[in-house]
Amino acid sequence: MNADNPIISIQNVHKFFGTFKALDDVSLTVDAGQKVVVIGPSGSGKSTLLRTINRLETISSGTIVVDGQDINAPSSDINLIRAEVGMVFQSFNLFRHKSVLDNLTLAPIKLKKEPRLEAERRAMELLEKVGMVDKAESYPVQLSGGQQQRVAIARALAMNPKIMLFDEPTSALDPEMIGEVLDVMVTLAREGMTMVVVTHEMGFAREVADSVVFMDEGKIVEIAPPNRFFDHPAHTRTQRFLEQIL
Amino acid sequence: MIDKRIVIDVGDGAAIPDPRDKGLFTAWRISFFGTLGIIAYLLIFKTDPYLDIIKFLPDGIVVTFKVTFASIGLALVLGLIAGLGRISKNTFFNLAASTYIEVVRGIPLLVQLFYIYFALGHLVRVPDMVAAIIAMGFCYGAYMGEVFRAGILSIDDGQTEASLSLGFNRSQAMRYVVLPQAWRTILPPVGNEFIALLKDTSLVSILAVSDILRRGREFASESFLYFETYTMIALVYLVITLILSKILSNVEHRLNHYERR
Repeated sequence: MNADNPIISIQNVHKFFGTFKALDDVSLTVDAGQKVVVIGPSGSGKSTLLRTINRLETISSGTIVVDGQDINAPSSDINLIRAEVGMVFQSFNLFRHKSVLDNLTLAPIKLKKEPRLEAERRAMELLEKVGMVDKAESYPVQLSGGQQQRVAIARALAMNPKIMLFDEPTSALDPEMIGEVLDVMVTLAREGMTMVVVTHEMGFAREVADSVVFMDEGKIVEIAPPNRFFDHPAHTRTQRFLEQIL
Repeated sequence: MIDKRIVIDVGDGAAIPDPRDKGLFTAWRISFFGTLGIIAYLLIFKTDPYLDIIKFLPDGIVVTFKVTFASIGLALVLGLIAGLGRISKNTFFNLAASTYIEVVRGIPLLVQLFYIYFALGHLVRVPDMVAAIIAMGFCYGAYMGEVFRAGILSIDDGQTEASLSLGFNRSQAMRYVVLPQAWRTILPPVGNEFIALLKDTSLVSILAVSDILRRGREFASESFLYFETYTMIALVYLVITLILSKILSNVEHRLNHYERR
């Protein structure tokens, strides 16, 4: 794909919660293979924006096209689109009644009708990738936050998504566990996955992002490659934010 | 992460013993062995008339269990539908479920039993026991609906969101992810309702259904041994509910295995 045919195209999106304007005329395109990091103060709408991409939040106006399909069109099957868009949550949201292995195989078996053995073989490959093979039979409550989040990433990958969304994946973690999750994300990025990441990890943004999006009060203030974004931010609002956090 | 387990306390049933309670003297043991002791004492030292009374009751025990199991089955189905209706965004479904629950909870069970029994009698001729089961199930379904609703709402939204994000639709998320987890939260109150229902089946003795109480009344009215008969009936009910509460406690304990570290 090229720039004329982005895998995610968000055009003039508005989102209201009651009278509160969560997203204010937001437009953003993401090309296949691109890594976009979204940052901004809390309440700036960055998580809301991310959640509109797989329609966990509906939008008030505008259009969002994912992999060629308008996700809000009545003719689109949102469940099929969601299967192609993996999502990783701040609070992991592993299925608490299922073992790690069953967390990974549930959707492939039920939705793609994969044979159990095939689903489990693939699940073990993914657990290998996130370094969690030895915990395959464990239940989520037996794992640390960092381990749960690595499993959650593997679970999303088990559906072979074309895009991965990360909603503050390290914000709920103890500091010593952030690295292990970021390592998995960096590996994924190197393999060419299309990623949209909402995070406060500026080191990750610098290292991995193709472009950094800065949001404030529901608007996109600035989009720039990481070097320019961090070293020469164009807007005073961006400068102030970076001064506060760096 | 904090391991939060939400306990719903909707109890008018027998207290379900806590399996972690390892002391020698627990309320359950005192009640259970005390009751068995009294029954044994009566049968050995006051064989006449207590042996005759207890020999008269087994048919009634079978009927009580039949009514209880059939009613709880019906109540679980109605309760699941009512519970899903109460959380549904579909206005019609939601209102229908809420109205059912409001109406049923506002009428005493005994009045409902009479009403459904005679109302059904106007429409179709059904056996007494079937009418009793429909009435009990219909009533307990409403209470069960509230238990299901609370159980489903106790499951974090994140579980549904994670399911949706993988491509499950809402009903698949409910079936594969939310309900299997809600079941653990629901089980203790459902167990309580089950025991409460077993006790309330004594009301069907009024509808010419030969349960434990009705058998006892028949025996008493022939022998005039009212005190002795009702003593034995109370003891038999107590033994049954104590055994059931122990079984439920063990089942609940086993189902919770994945919550333990």
